[in-house]
Amino acid sequence: MTVKSPQEVAAGLFLIVVAAIGLWQGAELAAGSLNQMGPGMLPRALSVILVVLGGALALDGFLEKGAGLERWHVRGPVFILGAAVVFGLLVRPVGLAIAGPVAVLLGAMADKGTKFVETLVFGVILTAFCVGLFKYALGLPIPVAPWLLGY
Amino acid sequence: MGDLLGNLALGFSTALSIQNILLCFTGCLVGTLIGVLPGVGPIATIAMLLPLTFKVDPTGALIMLAGIYYGAQYGGSTTAILVNIPGEATSVVTVLDGHQMAKQGRAGVALGTAAIGSFIAGSVATVFIAALGKPLTELALLFGPAEYFSLMVLGLAFAVVLARGSVLKAVAVIFLGLLLSTVGTDLETGEERLTFGIPDLADGIDFAVLAMGIFGFAEILRNLENPETRDVVRGAIGRLLPSKEDLKRSLAPIARGTGLGAILGILPGNGAVLGPFASYTLEKKIAKDPSRFGKGAIEGVAGPEAANNAGAQTAFIPLLTLGIPPNAVMALMVGAMTIHGVIPGPQVMTKNPSLFWGMIASMWIGNLMLLIINLPLVGLWVRLLKVPYRLMFPAILLFCCIGIYSINNNPGDVIMTAFFGLAGYALYKFGFEPAPLLLGFVLGKLMEETFRQAMVISRGSFMTFVERPLSGALLAITAAILVIAVLPNVRKRREEAFQE
Repeated sequence: MTVKSPQEVAAGLFLIVVAAIGLWQGAELAAGSLNQMGPGMLPRALSVILVVLGGALALDGFLEKGAGLERWHVRGPVFILGAAVVFGLLVRPVGLAIAGPVAVLLGAMADKGTKFVETLVFGVILTAFCVGLFKYALGLPIPVAPWLLGY
Repeated sequence: MGDLLGNLALGFSTALSIQNILLCFTGCLVGTLIGVLPGVGPIATIAMLLPLTFKVDPTGALIMLAGIYYGAQYGGSTTAILVNIPGEATSVVTVLDGHQMAKQGRAGVALGTAAIGSFIAGSVATVFIAALGKPLTELALLFGPAEYFSLMVLGLAFAVVLARGSVLKAVAVIFLGLLLSTVGTDLETGEERLTFGIPDLADGIDFAVLAMGIFGFAEILRNLENPETRDVVRGAIGRLLPSKEDLKRSLAPIARGTGLGAILGILPGNGAVLGPFASYTLEKKIAKDPSRFGKGAIEGVAGPEAANNAGAQTAFIPLLTLGIPPNAVMALMVGAMTIHGVIPGPQVMTKNPSLFWGMIASMWIGNLMLLIINLPLVGLWVRLLKVPYRLMFPAILLFCCIGIYSINNNPGDVIMTAFFGLAGYALYKFGFEPAPLLLGFVLGKLMEETFRQAMVISRGSFMTFVERPLSGALLAITAAILVIAVLPNVRKRREEAFQE
């Protein structure tokens, strides 16, 4: 048997893995009866359905010709999502004044053509604009620079 | 009829306060501003701008949010016409002829026609909602848990039919959404489910976090991979107001588009997406010279744009009358309403009439605002669209981060959004559509609640869903839709329809 649509097979396996995580996390929950359903019944039922659907999808990938696997890029996800994580970690301790430009700089590295100085200047201006808009104009309680301003 | 006028009068007296007009104006303006950015659709826009409304009273907040929503919709059309990429699913069709018109130096006329068409459609849809609101609310009284459950099943079936690609994948991705919706504290026993022991997950996954991850972040990742093919219209935008000849050609398509869009928009399961496609196909079919389509036919802009806007508005009907969000945008509206202490559903109209009718009246005002704001600001949008993506995407990223943080003032939410961004990227690589997942997630909690109630009432018998006439009828329609979707020749035609 040969794989005719790698994408379908991978997609099916992906569903099965997610469902397995659901089954593992929901293993300790009581299922109850249909009359009096427990917290575990639906997560378990849905996970089982996902396993079946994933299996069907993977099987389909063996039977019918379809799309190949797409190439996964590393640079984009690492820098974009990394920038968001760093923003999340920094915003409370050092505030938007630092977290903003850092997130912009880090995120911008997802693109090869990024110029450091241009992006830095842009990040600082953008952050200043956001502070003005979100903090002062809208009064959202986002920390700006606790180490300098105390808020 | 007198009732309707009285209610609309109440609505307008609420919506026309200076504060609410200003909120509506601001909402439309910033909504368009963000919505114009390529790759930022209404879902990401609303999630990003949700915190803007926190300081306002509930009525004002909903008016502003509705403004943001229309702004984002219209911004998407602007991008579709000026650049050859659609901002969101519903403006895919506008690209076909709108961008061709722009290339012929008639960008202004295309934008003007889109705005006028949207305005007419919006006005009709407003009256439509006002007229249907009351009878449908009364219908809601006939609905027990079993009927609600079956209606949502029907909605999900529609979502399967409307998704691109394989039916199996669409079904799977909906179940994935349903599974995600079970994360968090169980409503009846208070036990934590599938939380991995993470305290932030005890309240479940925040909808805005999930939506921003798989729509906002994942979209940036997708755009970065597809080398920039932006083709911003150079040269003149031209006059904005359509000529008499243009108007004559557009009026009938606008009328037909409005009707189609308004009816499809009510369907649960994101029927609004179908409106522009249906309108475009119809106009092409009945045109005297179909070969003009795809080469800058004004009917191909006027009809779909009217359908788009009418559907965007009538999608509020299931939410306001039954409390069921028919698509992801409406689910964000639920989130916003809940934050302000308003629980969407039939009781809103009776308990809080000034909010209900004020919001409906503000829909019309919002459409008028769009017309007023957009026509003079087109030059600004053009300049904005010329900003290179290497500067645009870090800005979008920062706005997303600030927006997500501000919803709950929780830095953990930003990190969780990054995680769902990765999940959205994986879904994209595996060829899954993210929109049905969101709908499954949105309806999941409601479905579980109504399912469990129905099972308690029926003492554990599945037959209750079939035996109750209304519920049985809804399930029969669901089965019919699904059977039709997998029939071979319909399947082929569906693929062709999406190809177009």
